[in-house]
Amino acid sequence: MKSPSLTLRNILMASLVSISILGACQSEKTEEQTNQSKTGQRALAPEEATGQYPYRRLSTYGFFEGEMAMLTPSEKLIPYQPASSLFTDYALKSRFVMIPDGAKAQLVDNDISLPVGSILVKNFYYPEDFKKPEGKRRVIETRLMIHEEKGWQSYPYIWNEEQTDAVLKIVGGETEVRFIDKNGKDQVINYLVPNKNQCKSCHNKNEVMAPIGIQPKHLNNDLNYNSGKENQLAHWTSLGKLEGFSGKDNHPSVINYEDQTQALDDRAMAYLDINCSHCHRAEGPASTSGLFLTFDQKDPMKLGINKTPVAAGKGSGKFKFDIVPGHGDQSILTYRMNSTEVGVAMPEIGRTTVHTEGVELIKEWINQMK
Amino acid sequence: MRKHLALISLSLLLFACYGCGTESNERTFDTSTLRKASIDEVEQVVEAFIMAEDSSTIEIPSGFYEFNTQLILDSKTAIRIKGAGMDQTVLSFRNLKSGGEGVKIVGNQITIEDLSIEDAPGDGIKAQHTDGITFRRINVTWTNGNKSKNGTYAIYPVQCKNVLIDECIASHSKDAGIYVGQSENIVVKNSLAFGNVAGIEIENSDNAEVFGNTARDNAGGILVFNLPGLPKSDGKGTKIYDNDIIENNHKNFAVPIGEDPNGNTVTMIPPGSGIVLLAAKEVEIYNNRILRNKTYGVAIASYQVTGFPAEAPNWSPYTTDVYVHDNQYERKSFSIPDFTREMGQLVAVHNAHGILKTQDIIYDGIWDKSINEKIESNPMRICIEESGMENLRFTRFYLMDGEENIQSFKDHELFQNCQVNVQTDISGIALLNSSVQK
Repeated sequence: MKSPSLTLRNILMASLVSISILGACQSEKTEEQTNQSKTGQRALAPEEATGQYPYRRLSTYGFFEGEMAMLTPSEKLIPYQPASSLFTDYALKSRFVMIPDGAKAQLVDNDISLPVGSILVKNFYYPEDFKKPEGKRRVIETRLMIHEEKGWQSYPYIWNEEQTDAVLKIVGGETEVRFIDKNGKDQVINYLVPNKNQCKSCHNKNEVMAPIGIQPKHLNNDLNYNSGKENQLAHWTSLGKLEGFSGKDNHPSVINYEDQTQALDDRAMAYLDINCSHCHRAEGPASTSGLFLTFDQKDPMKLGINKTPVAAGKGSGKFKFDIVPGHGDQSILTYRMNSTEVGVAMPEIGRTTVHTEGVELIKEWINQMK
Repeated sequence: MRKHLALISLSLLLFACYGCGTESNERTFDTSTLRKASIDEVEQVVEAFIMAEDSSTIEIPSGFYEFNTQLILDSKTAIRIKGAGMDQTVLSFRNLKSGGEGVKIVGNQITIEDLSIEDAPGDGIKAQHTDGITFRRINVTWTNGNKSKNGTYAIYPVQCKNVLIDECIASHSKDAGIYVGQSENIVVKNSLAFGNVAGIEIENSDNAEVFGNTARDNAGGILVFNLPGLPKSDGKGTKIYDNDIIENNHKNFAVPIGEDPNGNTVTMIPPGSGIVLLAAKEVEIYNNRILRNKTYGVAIASYQVTGFPAEAPNWSPYTTDVYVHDNQYERKSFSIPDFTREMGQLVAVHNAHGILKTQDIIYDGIWDKSINEKIESNPMRICIEESGMENLRFTRFYLMDGEENIQSFKDHELFQNCQVNVQTDISGIALLNSSVQK
């Protein structure tokens, strides 16, 4: 059997060949074609679902039923949603997991391991009008994480303008997105699709590619299914897709930071956990900084309280410490969250706009610290 | 200390321009005439990094490549990335819209050579969790006229083992040009660092040798630091020898001119610093030419001088076991110490040889009293054996009774007639060197 990477190489070779053919036919590309190349929409031959991943087209996987852009999942997909969501330029997301027939996920030591052959499907989309989120919308990209024999692999697919399919584009891309925000204001975002290896900037546990949302702490909460409201891990268990869940109270859970009925401390830690801790933890790439932001962090220095930066460069602005208790405006944490300048802005990828609500939350939390 | 010194600096305002520092926008290569690579050629390089197979070479032909995404080599083994020469293959990240660095490397036995990296918004090239990383003949720089826009580190291995930086050039970075952090077994040799805030910096690292380099026209030439609160909590064993550490009198542009230093320690480095040891452990400095650095040639300091919290697990704020010998010093005529940073003001005002006199060696004289109550016992084991010591300007400060009671002494005898044994072993790097040269 061919290894998946070999398959991908063949695809790449094919796409390179197609480039050179194009080059041979026309001395200059039209502007339209250049734009197409930017968003990764090259003419592709039909392909068959051979079981050898990745496919060039998203449609080949057969994840969705009916009109593809509606993202209506087929029976083999289970929807899931972490309690708190990573901010990605206000994009809305729909997430599904496919666990192969006959296989089960295992929950051990508060970690979930998915069997080989599992696929995570994460769609990023914008409604035209955020006041009518169910109305007309544009799907930008779908990121797949596939659990292959040699470990997890990530594959970004970029949707075409017709919204009929998405095509694998490992070098990533960028596209302009327009929408009306929830206050009725017109917004324009230069949306960046990460390249394949940038995925691991976040999905990184001790330099091994790993899912983020598929952890008990993020899924140990209720979700509305077609069948009604149910704890997500209980739901997977009842579907016969999970072993090791022993009830909500026996596993950690992070709250939804948007839930204003919750304590400010818990909301702030939930926000930092889902937005920062994939890098800022002992097993993450930002361990270099000594700043660790998982929701259960108790050590003041690791949390950044009166902690000097290490390699932040201009990311420090005028400030001395990551968190200055009582002074949200003088803390490096909020300074970097509030910037869109590359080299200053945190997180380093996935954000080109400021998450105003997130900045306010963290400022409020720091302001009440003593 | 601040209030006191501010008053004095006000009264010496006339000298302020003298005390500011120089500025350099020097370019090593003119790359403006290089052929611009097409979008497809650029994408092919991105793909080559993503799809690289173990034990292969990624060749990047001559040309000017403008990337709008990061170049990442992830978890690969025995890869050689090769350009057509520092002046021939240029990877430009001036259009990068997200990502902490231009080039990122994770893996084992990786070599990158013969190319230039320009204008990354964050760091130029970063290698992390890599065992066996060689940077050879790479030039990493920024071309902005306004240096405040420049990135943090040019060449940045962190949490690596067996690091070789050879014949590289690092210039105009807002922090350190060559920065090795939280790593072990390190050689930095025959390289050039100029126009940076710090030329070469070894931080929280073990077993490093820095030799045959030129660090010139930075604010600080060569730095050995240990910072608190990091996963690699402390570092020890650094030899600095046969380097030219010359005229490191550049402005400290890590923060905008006129702004106070922020929490990055490097923002406190006064222009005119040759070598700075901060909370360093087991350092030998010898056979260097330390010339015309206007504030001091060598500074031996403990972390307390930063004024930041100085407690962390498995870490000590003191600089200990230092052996400085057989270096050549030259003081620049008609120049005075820096006035833009507190440490510069301390030297200018409080040194033991007279106001505004450049120093060859300074020691902050902060010691751990739990070891011995008396500095005369040399409790931190600081050993200085320079020939013609009586002609050098040495100052030991006494800062432990607060800023109103700063004292200074010329008593270099306290730190002479001794020896400190600093052990390093870079034989593993020599192997790395020969295996990649083939």
